[in-house]
Amino acid sequence: MADTERDEKVAAGYRALRSEEPPRALDEAILTAARKRPSQWRVPLSIAAVLVLAVGVTLRMLPQRPEAESVALAPQVMQTPRPAASAPAPARELARPAAGAEAAAEVAAADALAESQMRSDIAAKPTSRASAAPAPAPAAAGVGAETNVPAGKMAKAELSPQAWLERIAELRKQGRTREAEESLAEFKKRYPDYRVPEPPR
Amino acid sequence: MLAYRRGEAGAFEALYARHKGPLYRFVLRSVKERALAEELYQEIWMRVIESRGRYAVQAKFTTWLYTIAHHRLADHWRKRGLQLVDAQGADAVGHRSFEPEPRAEGRQDLQRLAAALAALPELQRETFLLHEEAGMTLAEIALATGATQEAAKSRLRYALARLREALGDG
Repeated sequence: MADTERDEKVAAGYRALRSEEPPRALDEAILTAARKRPSQWRVPLSIAAVLVLAVGVTLRMLPQRPEAESVALAPQVMQTPRPAASAPAPARELARPAAGAEAAAEVAAADALAESQMRSDIAAKPTSRASAAPAPAPAAAGVGAETNVPAGKMAKAELSPQAWLERIAELRKQGRTREAEESLAEFKKRYPDYRVPEPPR
Repeated sequence: MLAYRRGEAGAFEALYARHKGPLYRFVLRSVKERALAEELYQEIWMRVIESRGRYAVQAKFTTWLYTIAHHRLADHWRKRGLQLVDAQGADAVGHRSFEPEPRAEGRQDLQRLAAALAALPELQRETFLLHEEAGMTLAEIALATGATQEAAKSRLRYALARLREALGDG
């Protein structure tokens, strides 16, 4: 190399050190990759791109699903048996939001139980729950009447469809027509297939 | 490379056979860990393969190949929190898990040379290896490493001085 100083002794010494070669397996791996035609690379790349898109779209949709499920299956959740002593606890918590941490934990545990049972119900019975005959109202259903919680909210959290309708009828009897109408509208939204009896004229 | 780009697989095999030893030793002596060197060496060739469609004759294939190698090694040093800087008066730091085994007579001289090469600052060692292994000119080294020709010349001069010293010739 003419454009720099050259040290023959260093160069000769370095040449004596040069013995390493890549392992044969590495040679084979690289040569195999090189033999692949570009089209063989493009197909897996396109598949990967489609998969990434599909996963992305699915992930974007996921947050909406649990809501839809909980709306459709709300009555079934309420049919799950709970210990008699703890049954009214969630309702009490709704009435008194400043209650202690212990009660809050109980509510959370009950919710978790209900959710897990709801999910097993989904797996076992995928058909629409709303059109099925409603089960008798659980003990907790009547609690809402003793609290100041708005009927619509109470129904959303606690009541079976039948109990909800009874609650609406109760509101009407009490002359709370506006609340009854709002609650009924929410009921119809949630259980569109449920046959609602005409209110007494 | 142009022939390989046109789809002649045999052209790549010829290129590979010519450059595999020098490139492997260049990477091995740069990172000094055999497993890591093999990984980086494979990645460099994979980049060559993947880039074949974009290859244009702007420089010799050797310069292009070692430009890819230089960038891959720079990425590696960056990930390890090291920067490639000129350290012309400084001692090199870092562990030395790979030392080539001398095989000829004058074993002690060669061991000292190997140790001195491993101890060179990264940029000086890179320049020396591009010069000795790849047979590149200063202009080609400057192009491949993104340095000026003066900087490449200076690095090579410092490297040679240290290696001469190791051989008892300083």
